[in-house]
Amino acid sequence: MRLGGLIRRLLRRPDGFAGLCILVFFSVIALVPDLLVGPLQTPVTGLENGYPRLAPPSFQFPLGTDELRRDMLNLTVHGARVSMVIGLLATVITVVIGVIVGVVSGFIGGRTDGVLMRITDFFLVIPTFVLAIILTSIIRDMIGSASREILGIRMTLIVIIIVIGITSWASTARIIRSQTLSLKERAFVDRARVIGAGGGHIMNRHILPNVVNLIVANAVLVFAGAVLTETTLSFIGLGDPLQPSWGQILESSREIGAPSLGAWWYFVPPGACIVLVVFAFTLLGSALDEMLNPRRRARQ
Amino acid sequence: MGSAYLVRRLASAAITILLIVFINFLLFRAMPGSPERIILRGVPNVTLERLEATRERWGLNDPLFPDQFVSFLQATASGDLGFSFVARGQTVGEVLAQRIWPTIILFGLGELVAIVVGLALGAYSGWRRGGPVDFVGNGVSLILYSAPYFLLGMILLLIFATNLGWFPTFGMLTAGATYSSPVDRLVDFLAHLALPLATVALGLIGQYAIVMRSSIIETSSDDYVTTARGMGLTDGRVLRHHALPNAMLPTVTLVAINLGYVVAGAITVEVVFNWPGLGTLTVEALTARDYPVLQGVFLLLSVSVVLANLGADMVYGVLDPRVRT
Repeated sequence: MRLGGLIRRLLRRPDGFAGLCILVFFSVIALVPDLLVGPLQTPVTGLENGYPRLAPPSFQFPLGTDELRRDMLNLTVHGARVSMVIGLLATVITVVIGVIVGVVSGFIGGRTDGVLMRITDFFLVIPTFVLAIILTSIIRDMIGSASREILGIRMTLIVIIIVIGITSWASTARIIRSQTLSLKERAFVDRARVIGAGGGHIMNRHILPNVVNLIVANAVLVFAGAVLTETTLSFIGLGDPLQPSWGQILESSREIGAPSLGAWWYFVPPGACIVLVVFAFTLLGSALDEMLNPRRRARQ
Repeated sequence: MGSAYLVRRLASAAITILLIVFINFLLFRAMPGSPERIILRGVPNVTLERLEATRERWGLNDPLFPDQFVSFLQATASGDLGFSFVARGQTVGEVLAQRIWPTIILFGLGELVAIVVGLALGAYSGWRRGGPVDFVGNGVSLILYSAPYFLLGMILLLIFATNLGWFPTFGMLTAGATYSSPVDRLVDFLAHLALPLATVALGLIGQYAIVMRSSIIETSSDDYVTTARGMGLTDGRVLRHHALPNAMLPTVTLVAINLGYVVAGAITVEVVFNWPGLGTLTVEALTARDYPVLQGVFLLLSVSVVLANLGADMVYGVLDPRVRT
């Protein structure tokens, strides 16, 4: 199925339409935060401009201000970029590992399959979140508190991206493996083998193109999970205050006790953004799954 | 139950636990600093003899693999998880023991409420597919499913503790309070428990309802359900005695598999309410870079999840004869 056709069919479904709209909205915000609200504010900006401290929403500050006199609208909009970029990159790593493990495991089979699936099941069953916490802090200690940046992303966040990637690929690998197992038995794979194609060539040219649909549907769900994981990791103090994601904003709000102070504007807007994004991706993911997964399609 | 099935499941769980310990071993060796110093960092007045004894005990004079791993495995198996960096002189086991009960109470009850309410909601909305309960229930479930637990907690805290003042905002008991009777103490405890419990339950209900709903929808088109309807049984009877028992099967696995994810939620909910369990312990250990405690938490939670999954498989084997092969 072509991408254009897929999007057109998605738009015709209510869940697909709603999901895509929310997604486009947040993508635009994440792409051009500076155009919308100016550069990211720091405690210095608030102080210089004489902004109020922890003020409720007003005409000047539609989402109020935080305890460091920063405009919450500014922080929330910039948070979109951080959260979405981390989610996107973590999804790429997750899907790449999952697809490689799944295709290799399913195609080669035998011992390789046995070992790879043992590891996969291990990652499926253990609480990977706790592992992610330990990995993040140990890796950060090992590389030191470097203030280096890669592509404008601070090292602390790069570590988070990699850790999310290496702890959440297991379900993707499982799904891709089972699809590979069934593709392997098809006539076109036999034909390729008969004319002398090697295993690598068959996996690249025959198996991979046939699991692309599944990869897309799965990646959408992985993204939702990655955003949630990043939010939770930031919330317990593994975020970067200098590049605040939505989770990091929630962490700062908890730290000053915003819920007990009644400062709802501090955590409800970033929280609502997280829920909307995850909700949109869950909708999209299940819509895609219904459209692309032959088993679910038959039941409609 | 077939003994081959039992043996295979047990072996699989054992290998998983072995892998968990192996990961802990790797992490422990990946930490900056020499291992014996890490082990003894939480111990005051370390003598040279103590240092040497530790090197001997943990096999640090032997090759890394397999000798050191075997020593590590033996230590772990005997419950020796090292010393906390922060709580001076306390072993990780002691630190964990102090914090485990609040978590068991909070999450045991939360799971219980969520299973009962979530499954009932899912079953009803799936059975009356397209009805008003289904429409509202499914929407609410999806939103709850998308919300991080701690966000639900913060909102409940804002509404019911700060604005309405019905419940206390943090802790497990009022700080410094004296109780005239055990009943007063219990009441105070329950008041503190209410909001975190509601948060955990709400966070879980969404997932359980979604899975139960799709499971019951799948079951309701099965032949035996049609047969039961054809026999003229009432709608409620078909649901309770025919559709429900089979539709429950996938949820048994779900509850166990989900435990791994619940753990992440557990940590954050406890942080929001300052509930003195393993979650707040994790964050305290994280802030202080108390790695032995973090690893202890990881080991404890992972092994619990593996055992819960093993238990679920056993239950599944009893409920569904088809998997016992």
